[in-house]
Parts: sequence; structure tokens; C-alpha cells
Amino acid sequence: MPIEIPKDKWPGSVREITLGATAADGGTRTSTVTVGGEKALPYMHFEAQMPHKPVIALEIRDRLPDDWSTLLLEHWGDTAKDPAAWAKAAEATGVELLQLTLSLTDADGNPNTPENAVAVVKSVLAATGLPLLVFGTGQAEMDNVLLVAVAEATQGERLVLGICEDKNYRTIVAAAMANGHLVNGRTPMDVNLSKQLNILISDMGLPMDRILMDPTTGALGYGIEYGFSVMERLRMAALQGDSMTQQPMLVTPGFEAWKTKESKVGKDVPAEWGDWLKRAIHWETMTATALIESGADIVVLRHPESVKRIRVAIDELSAVPEMA
Amino acid sequence: MAEHTVVFDAAAEVSVPRGTLLADAARKAGVEISQPCGGQGRCGRCAVKVTKDGVRRRSTLRLSAEDVEAGYALACQTVVEGDTEVTVPAQEKIARLLTTDRTVAQVQVPTGYSAAADQTIKRFGLTLTPPSMVDQTDDWSRFTAGLRQQAGIELGHISLPLMRQLGAVLREGEWQVTVVLDLAEEAAPRLIAALPGLLPDSAPLWGAAVDIGTTTVSLWLVDLLSGEVQVQTAEYNRQISRGEDVISRIIYGSKNDGGQEMRGLVLESIGQLLERGCRRAKIDASEVMKMTIVGNSTMMHLLLGIPAASIRLSPFVTAVNQVPPFRAEDVGIGIHPEATVDCIPGIASYVGADITAGVLSSGMDDTESISLFIDIGTNGEIVLGSHDWLVTCACSAGPAFEGAGVMHGMRATRGAIEEVWINGSTYEPSFRVIGGGQPQGVCGSGLLALLAEMFLTGILDKGGNLNSSLPTDRVREGEHGLEYVISWGHETKNGDGPANDIVITRVDVDNLIRAKASIYAGFTILADSVGFPLEAVDQVLVGGSFGKYINVEKAVQIGLLPDMPWEGFQFLGNTAVKGAYLALLDKHARARISDIASRMTYIELSADNSFFEAFTSALFLPHTDMDRFPTVAKALQPELETEE
Repeated sequence: MPIEIPKDKWPGSVREITLGATAADGGTRTSTVTVGGEKALPYMHFEAQMPHKPVIALEIRDRLPDDWSTLLLEHWGDTAKDPAAWAKAAEATGVELLQLTLSLTDADGNPNTPENAVAVVKSVLAATGLPLLVFGTGQAEMDNVLLVAVAEATQGERLVLGICEDKNYRTIVAAAMANGHLVNGRTPMDVNLSKQLNILISDMGLPMDRILMDPTTGALGYGIEYGFSVMERLRMAALQGDSMTQQPMLVTPGFEAWKTKESKVGKDVPAEWGDWLKRAIHWETMTATALIESGADIVVLRHPESVKRIRVAIDELSAVPEMA
Repeated sequence: MAEHTVVFDAAAEVSVPRGTLLADAARKAGVEISQPCGGQGRCGRCAVKVTKDGVRRRSTLRLSAEDVEAGYALACQTVVEGDTEVTVPAQEKIARLLTTDRTVAQVQVPTGYSAAADQTIKRFGLTLTPPSMVDQTDDWSRFTAGLRQQAGIELGHISLPLMRQLGAVLREGEWQVTVVLDLAEEAAPRLIAALPGLLPDSAPLWGAAVDIGTTTVSLWLVDLLSGEVQVQTAEYNRQISRGEDVISRIIYGSKNDGGQEMRGLVLESIGQLLERGCRRAKIDASEVMKMTIVGNSTMMHLLLGIPAASIRLSPFVTAVNQVPPFRAEDVGIGIHPEATVDCIPGIASYVGADITAGVLSSGMDDTESISLFIDIGTNGEIVLGSHDWLVTCACSAGPAFEGAGVMHGMRATRGAIEEVWINGSTYEPSFRVIGGGQPQGVCGSGLLALLAEMFLTGILDKGGNLNSSLPTDRVREGEHGLEYVISWGHETKNGDGPANDIVITRVDVDNLIRAKASIYAGFTILADSVGFPLEAVDQVLVGGSFGKYINVEKAVQIGLLPDMPWEGFQFLGNTAVKGAYLALLDKHARARISDIASRMTYIELSADNSFFEAFTSALFLPHTDMDRFPTVAKALQPELETEE
């Protein structure tokens, strides 16, 4: 006897957002990436097909990072000393996006400058054809100077500029608005705060199809359940028709996983923790997979091995099973 | 183009082209009409009365249907389309006319109040036969017999100090004596005072109603015979220096001799108000024969010197909810030592006598319509219900709306800015100061108005961030981040120089937004708890130490009060002290408070995380969920269009 599977019909959907612009659209990218468009909860293919699979970004820095795990530095080796080379190597792993983080200082401890930031961004754009996300240093005054310069120097590229926060978003949004870019807004694991930042950004006049939201998450064992549930609730609000929550979600499992003790520390840990590298990759992979299942549209990773595994997970989740 | 004649105040006549704004016509005629909001139709201060109709109103946002019916029009939103005549009312008159301004209801003696039937404190004059060699009855027996025969009262209690004085008093008055009794306990009347001589019947019999707020202490002096309030006075609670909220006060009071110190501080506050009040009434404090006190449970414990620590600790019980009456001397209050001090009962640790008294004074327990009652204070107590049911909760709002914990905040007294408008194009403020003259600071209603005006003019975004890119030097970087200058030092009572500028800082804005979010979240949780839609309440009753009035529209615009028709709001002023006053006068009202206390259901907000959810949702101007504030969304719309 055939079984009728009950289906939810949602009134709302996630906005479709395109990152990067090709020459035809005023940019220099060789490809663009479109995310969002979901009309049902993640991977409920029988209710509505997902128009776009989640995509993977690799994080690179404008200089050799001094706060990254040695496992990552060993993997990237000398390429991490040159942002353009690093970008090329990252592109070769098959990711759809690159995410460049600017540093507060240069290797000698001098403050970063707009000239340097622009030069690095331009060299990365020249080295690869992928759409790019440029995140600031995390210090508001510095970011407002660096990101404005970057935005102006790369007009029309549809970069994603970040990170907008509720106390510091105006300058970044204005720069994105004036130069044809997108923004990423981050809020600390709260449905209301995510929605509020979307409202603040859109109140400035930036079209909603140029806003990504990062609801923030925690790594496996470090509060991922809370992040998962916030993302799930944001997605349900979006599907229920709440216009100000219908942005595609970006999360940074690479950043979160690689700051845990389990990934960072290789010595003086219990023997049963097992092989350090294996453990660290597992940590990043498990964190990212859970977030993809909760509805993430973009995951930012750090290790190419994790990229491989997440690619498999995405493909398997996205495969539409034969329905009887 | 056709020209029309406009006559102002039957004096100034001017001819203008069809379509001219009334405000422009007035300027041409040399008639002053103030436009604090810059002619955007927002503030309503340019309301004029059209006595001969030849105008078209483009917007009547700030006028009610009755106002329009009466001929009122906003000069900045009204165009001339025919010959017309206009009267320009005095500013003060306009200020009171607008429907959005809810002036505090005047205190009136309760209808039908009769000291004989309702008052428990009674005064009698006795004339006794002097003792002689043929009548060697002792003083005490002579006194009680006189009382029995002339007043029909069998005395139950007298204190030893009174008995010691009795003989001297009787002789000083040459066997005429005025007696004050407490008849609350019918079977055993208690002697409060025996005074030499007789008083005229018209001499007041003094009582005091006191509200001990966490932030503000209020005291009213009342003639118990006529029921009239003779003096109203208020001051900050001196305990503030030992913590802003009840929790920190309890902690302080539990340490070392903190309890004694806290008791001393609140007694000092009451003493200060008594002294001021009695000076105004030209009486001695010892003439006050009864004091009725309300306050939250913590304040009551600290006043009585009863350890309050259990209020803070699970399972959150008070030492006492129903406090029996005490002698003033035992409590430590400097009125007549034998005077009765009556503490109104509370319900639970966080729902005290202030809220039961508030419900009594609001009358919401006595009507069929569904009321939402809020006492906006440091603890925002909220009650929803009718005569059939009452639910209540308490949310910690902080002292911001009482003007405390805000850089230039002050109580609603002379020199406080109580209303603010900001010009939408120049960002220049104009304001009204209590008592006129130069400002000293901003009180609760002023802060509320300021927040709304800064929000509507774009100085604040919905998240409460100040916009530093506006063409005004009033938004500047201060010691605590961005701030807005309301009044330059040289315009204030504080003196010249930037240090004396009256400003509102980013931190102040955050405090105010948190306070309003806490209160609004309380509304939503309370309404949810009984499944009653907030928008469906019949009336919203607002109490609090705002001063004389509250601007309802602005309170809605910032998301403090629910978005309902303005007519549904009533501002009751300090409902707690008013409740104390009613209980002071009338034993039946006093009994009703106990009844209210027994009928209220208390909703504990910390039981789950739904309050926090509602709180973060309300931490936005006016609210994250704009659908809850349709009229505010509408008011913001035209501004968005002009920005495009």
C-alpha cells in the first residue's frame, strides 16, 4: 500500500544572493556563486528541491598568521607567506569561494595600512578567478579605514565585505553600497539579534540581496548545539515568511574548530585522544557537517582535507533519492 | 493664481496665493507660530484654531477627530484654499490640548468619603469634672469614664509613656482634653495621644501616605477629617548610594551591619520628606497620627530592619508579607511616637505592597473591561486583568525612567526638561522645563521624549546607535562614546563650559532601551501567559514617577507601550502612593487591598527563557517585530522615502 508522506508547504523562502561579478557584470571574476533560494528545511527534497547546494570557502590571510595551529601552517608551508600564492593553492582544492582575513599589523608589528590592504586584495583577485570575501581585522576603527579603501579599489567586483556588527556597520555598509559589493553581518547566536542587524543594514538602503548573515556558531563540544538551534530557528522564521530573516547563512567552522584545545594542542594530551592531525580534521569536519545540516549556505574552512570531506557530505546530502 | 485673505486673531490680515501653508501665511502676517519639529507635522505644537474654514489639512497625525471637529489644524500641514480666519492659542494651552499628552489625573478625595464611617483614627474632645475632696477618683479612671460616657468608647490599650504624662496633660488643659484613638481593632481601641485643651472641629487631623520606591520615596500629608491631600513631596531614596536595585540592596544589607545602615538611610529619606512636608503645612511632625506605607517587599523589610536575605535566595520567600501595625517610635519614624504605622501587605518576594496599592488606586480590579496596568519604576510591576481575574509579574527595569543612572537625569522637579522636540532637518532641540527657566537635567518623561525624537529624526538608528555623520555639532564624541547635546552649558542653570552641557550618552541610550525592553517584554509574557492578545486590552493604565504627564505617542514610538489608539491610555501618576493614600483614609479600601492580594496570580519570569527571548526582541526601536507597531512603521515610512 503506498504511503503518503505529509509535506509542509512554507509561505516564505530564502533570498538568492550572487557573489562575485564576471566581466559581463562589471567585475573580473571568471565564475560567480549563487546561494540561497531554499523553499523548505534543509535537504527535505520531497518537499522542495534546494536550488543551490551549500558552498565551501577556504580562509586565507594577508600574511603568515601567527595565531594558527602549526598543523595548518605545516600544510600550507611557504605558500602562506604570499597571499596570491596561497589563493592559487586554495583555489586548486576545488572550493567555490575564498575568504581573505586582513591582519591588524604586519609581521613586524606595524599597523596595517589601507595601501597594503588594497595591494593584497588586488593580488589575490589577480591570482584567482573565484569570488572573494574580505573580512577585516575585528577592530572597528581599523576595519572602517581598510575596508573602505578595499571597497573603492575593487568597485563592481561584488566582494563580500565583513564583518558588520550591530555597533559597527554603517561605514562598511556605505562602502559596499557605493561600490557594488555585498556585506556579511555577524551577531552572537541569537535569532532576534540576527534579524535586528539585517534591519539596520537594510534601513541604510542596501538591497536585501546583498546581505549575508553569520549567526555565529561554536565548535563541536563548544556550544554547537546552541548555534545549530539558532540557525534552525532562523531558517524556520525565513520559511514562515519573516522577510528580515531570509538571508543566506554564512558560518565559520574552520575558525571555531581550529581554536579548540583538541585541534590546537598536540602535546601532553591524553593518549586516548589519538592522532593529532586526524583529530583536528575530524573536529573541523564534524563541526562543518552539523552546520550544513542546520541550513548553512556557506561554510568557511581552513584545512583542504576538510574541504574534501565536506564536499562528499554535501554531495550525499544533496543527492535526491528516488521516490517510489 | 487666486489670492485669499487670512486673518489671524482677528487682527493681522494678510493676502496669500492659494495653496500657501498657514505657517507661511502667519510669518508673512508677522504672527509667531513655533514649529519645534521643523514643520514636519510631528510635534503638533503649531496647532491653530480655524474659525472660518477655507483650508485643507494635509496631515492631522497629531490631532484627534475631536480636535479637527473643534477646528484645530496644524499650521505646518494646512494650506489656504479660501478666505479664512485663524486663532493662535497660547503655547501652554496647546501643550495641554493634544490628545497624546496624558496629564496625570488630579488627586481627588474619594467620592463619599466620610471620616466618621471610613477612618480608623478618631479624635474626640472631652470635658471632665475636676477632682475634689468629694470626688477623689484617680486620673486614669476619670479619663476612661469620660471617654466611655462622652464618646462611647471603652479603651483597650494605652502605653506606659502615655500614662506617665496623663495627669499633667489633664491639669494643663484644666480638665479639658483632646483624645486621638486608633479604632482599627474595634474590640480594643488604642490611645494614640491625649493633648491638653480642646481643638476646634475644623482643625485637621494629620496622616501621611508614603511610598518607598527603590529609587524614589514619596510622601503625602493628608487631613484625615476632610480627606484632602495638603502636601505632596518626593525625594530619591538615600539607599541608592548602596546599590541601584533591590538585589544589590539585599546583598549589602546582609553583610556586617548593612541592615542597620540601610534602615537608617531610608528612615533619613522619610525624615527629610516629613520635615519638608510639615514645614509646608506649617505643622509639627508630632501632629501626624497615622502613616500608611507601601513599598516593594525588599523596601519593607529594610525599613523594618527585618533580614531580607531570603528574598534573594531560592525558594524566594519573604520574612513577612502581612505586617501587623506598629507604633511609630518602634519603627523609628519621627511622627507622634504612639502614631500607628500601617504597612500594606505584599504578595510575594517580588510583588510587594506597591503593586497591590497600585491596583487599588487604578481601580482595575473593579471593572469588567480588561486593563493592563504598569507601574514604571525600578521594578516594573505589571498587572493584567479585570474584576474576574488578575495576573501579575515584575521585571527589573532599572531606574532610568526615574532619571537615575542616566548622566544628566534628575527627578521630575523644577529645572527638569520634561518634554523635547528635535527639528528633523537642523537636529536642533527645543524643550519645556518644569517651572520654566533654565534646565538642570532631564527627568523620565524628558528622557522618553528625547529617545523618541532622536529615533524619529535619525540621530539614533533602530539599534540605538548614534549617527555621527549628521550635519550638526550636537552629536559628538564624549567621554563615554558618542553623545547628543540637549543644552549647551551657557543655556543651563549649571553654568558655562562644555563640562556643563546637558547631554545624553550612548550608555544612557542603552540603559533606556534596556528599561523599555524589560517592561515591554513583561507585557508580552504576561499576555501570553493567559493567551490574551496584547492589542485587545481595553485600556492601558500607566503609573510612575514621570512628573505631571507622559507623552503616549512617544512612549509607543520607542516601544515602551503597546501600539494602541491613544485614547486607550490613562496616566495615573504615582499609583503606589495614591494607593497608600486611599488605604490611609478608608478602612474599606484597606480591606480591598488584602482582597486584591489574595486574588492575584503571580507569573515568575525566570521560570524559563521566554522572558529573555521577548527581552532581546524588544531591545530595538521600537521592536524587532515591526508588525507589533503598525503606526510607528507608518510614521517612519515617509522618512525612508525622502532618503531614497
